[in-house]
Amino acid sequence: MTPVSVTPQAVLDRSDELRRGLDGSFRDSMVTSLYQRAGELAGRSVREQGAGKWDFDQRIDRILTSRWLGLPVMLLLLGAVFWVTILGANVPSQMLANAFFAVEAAAAAWFESMGAPWWLTGLVWHGTFRGLAWVVSVMLPPMAIFFPVFTILEDLGYLPRVAFNLDWLFRKAGAHGKQALTMAMGFGCNAAGVTSTRIIDSPRERLLAILTNNFVPCNGRFPTLIMLAVIFVAAAFPPAVAAFAAAAAVMAVVLLGVCFTLGVSWALSRSVLSGEASAFTLEMPPYRRPSILRILYTSLIDRTIFVLGRAMLTAAPAGALIWILANVQAGGTTLAERSIALLEPLGTAIGLDGVILLAYVIAIPANEIVVPTMLMCYLGGAMMMDITTYEQIREVLVGQHGWTLLTAVNLMLFSLLHNPCATTILTIWKETRSARWTALGALMPLGLAFLVCFATAQAVRLLPL
Amino acid sequence: MSALGILVAGALLVASLAVPKFGLLAKWKRHRAYRAKSRSEDALKHILAWQHRSKLASLESLAGTMGLRPAAVLRVVASLQTAGWVESSAGGIALTASGERRALQVVRAHRLWERHLSDDANMPMAKLHQAAERAEHSLSREQVAELDAHLGHPQHDPHGDPIPRPDGTISALHAVSLNEWPVGRPALIAHLEDEPEAVFRQILLANLRPMRVVKVAESGPNHLVIEVDGGQHRIERSTAANIHVREIRPQDALPSARTRLSDLAQGACGEVAGLSPDCQGLSRRRLLDLGLTPGTRVEVALDNTFGDPRAFRVRGTTVALRRQQADQVLMRPFPPFSGKEAAP
Repeated sequence: MTPVSVTPQAVLDRSDELRRGLDGSFRDSMVTSLYQRAGELAGRSVREQGAGKWDFDQRIDRILTSRWLGLPVMLLLLGAVFWVTILGANVPSQMLANAFFAVEAAAAAWFESMGAPWWLTGLVWHGTFRGLAWVVSVMLPPMAIFFPVFTILEDLGYLPRVAFNLDWLFRKAGAHGKQALTMAMGFGCNAAGVTSTRIIDSPRERLLAILTNNFVPCNGRFPTLIMLAVIFVAAAFPPAVAAFAAAAAVMAVVLLGVCFTLGVSWALSRSVLSGEASAFTLEMPPYRRPSILRILYTSLIDRTIFVLGRAMLTAAPAGALIWILANVQAGGTTLAERSIALLEPLGTAIGLDGVILLAYVIAIPANEIVVPTMLMCYLGGAMMMDITTYEQIREVLVGQHGWTLLTAVNLMLFSLLHNPCATTILTIWKETRSARWTALGALMPLGLAFLVCFATAQAVRLLPL
Repeated sequence: MSALGILVAGALLVASLAVPKFGLLAKWKRHRAYRAKSRSEDALKHILAWQHRSKLASLESLAGTMGLRPAAVLRVVASLQTAGWVESSAGGIALTASGERRALQVVRAHRLWERHLSDDANMPMAKLHQAAERAEHSLSREQVAELDAHLGHPQHDPHGDPIPRPDGTISALHAVSLNEWPVGRPALIAHLEDEPEAVFRQILLANLRPMRVVKVAESGPNHLVIEVDGGQHRIERSTAANIHVREIRPQDALPSARTRLSDLAQGACGEVAGLSPDCQGLSRRRLLDLGLTPGTRVEVALDNTFGDPRAFRVRGTTVALRRQQADQVLMRPFPPFSGKEAAP
């Protein structure tokens, strides 16, 4: 046979020509024949050993996704995760704080004995170091417990079942069931949650998931919620059930976040993101035995260290900034006092105060530093009182700064709803490449937070409670 | 001081008007250019549509369809003439060869966009036309080519109209109006006319969709009684004129089953007969990729609190589908009758 010279264009033309002769069903036949062939090959070379594993999986699935037990079991598991975190994190947090403040005191004394100027000692130890110390002691223990426990659930293959259980709600909200998976990622870090929305194919539903991911409290916000739950909720219960009460309070906030996610998705899919539900298919993988070493590695190294490192990077300059604000005077008052006075009216209107708002402004780079910033502002840069236990924090907040239950509730709401951190905003921009969606993703939650907090504050003040 | 203020305000005003690309003037210019383009393209489509009905368009018919004053229509036609796309004669306005190619490009963009909205965005049939009417003018040739490749070079739009090819050729529709189809003989719906909208809505209400099998059960002087998808509907003959049908061919490979995957009870088994012809594009590909090909055995594995979605056991994996997806999978009872299986 003599070789025939064929130009690329001729091949393309010929394929175009041949394509016209095809009817639409050739794709179906292609996939069908591929599956048939694969089935034949598998039948010849793969031997199945009974159906034991699948029966076992299905028995578990029948419970975890059942009509009556599916949702209660899900809530119970989530509650258990919070309970374990709260119960386990309390003592190590105090120990870390004690240790760090001992170091701070000793180092500051050493600096002074070396003849260092007061502002250097202050900036380095009472500013930068104290910021770092707070972040590590407030965040490390809850993270080191929460992430591994949550990773176990993930590794078992439970999360797709959650998506399966909740899909109906998301469909009613005009969203995609896989949004539940991206929300689960958001528990760790909202920026990671936003990135994980890539598993949703439809651009409309993906945008919904991106814009509402912020309503899942990320790990940086959990310490705030846990602290408030312990100080204001658990304190009202006898010690035996205090941890349960605190876990229930955190759960309630998380569920409220889910309600906001669904509500905002519903509103968006009937306004700026209107459209039809796309095809939903979700594969439910078989259950696997979690590999402990891998869990420890991914949850401690990949997640805990990563998130903590990021928090420390922002906490160090923030600590220095707070120290400067609290110690640099202009016209007789410190800069901190001036900015707090400026924010006070707005803070009071929404049931918070100027210090909390200032803390949130300073904490825009990372939500983790809200509580440390707040406490440092309340205590003042010059005050040397070290507080390490929740009782002492309660004394400072309620006793010295007039916090009420309303303040605590509104701070929880504000923490749940307010704007995403700078990293998340940047991630939204990277994923959407649109300034408008990014702006909406940042400002919509902020507006909602102000609105909701204002409403509760006014309601409580008007009603004779 | 105030003079400076006025000066600054004046400078800002001028800037907001005249800044290239972002100023109001530039916006207005862009808007004008877009309007001129969409008007001339709409006019080309109208003339093409009339030529397909072997009629010549006129200034009056153009003014009627496009809702424009005669003076505006005159300007549009003049610009088309300058471009060499139309020729007017005493009988009316006709497309030149290049004008016809241009018109077909617009039609191609329109129908591909409808296909995209239907397949990728799941948009209901009744909304497609309006959305595509807007999009067709702003798609570039490259974008249209990209869309075509993305959709897998479809031959027909969601109503069954053939999509013109890039070289400006178009295959003819081999179908007759439902009015001319004999009573009692099953036919395949090849095409539904989406204009006028009110008639199209009647068609959709009667459960008629392209690629569905329809049978005329009764034929009256002004109406037809039709059977489609297991239900009976009465439609006017004027409506039936907008429905085009053809003979069923073996290669259409229509699944004959009535049961759907969503009808199966918890724990029940079935065998896939095929996917509904309503399910096209991305969603069809997704279902096929999951292994829901004809002959596959499926078992209902899991319910949940809300009863939707449900999970199915397919080829050794568990897959959750919403009711809307499970509706698209047609089933036969399993196991099939042994007598049938033995037959060649």
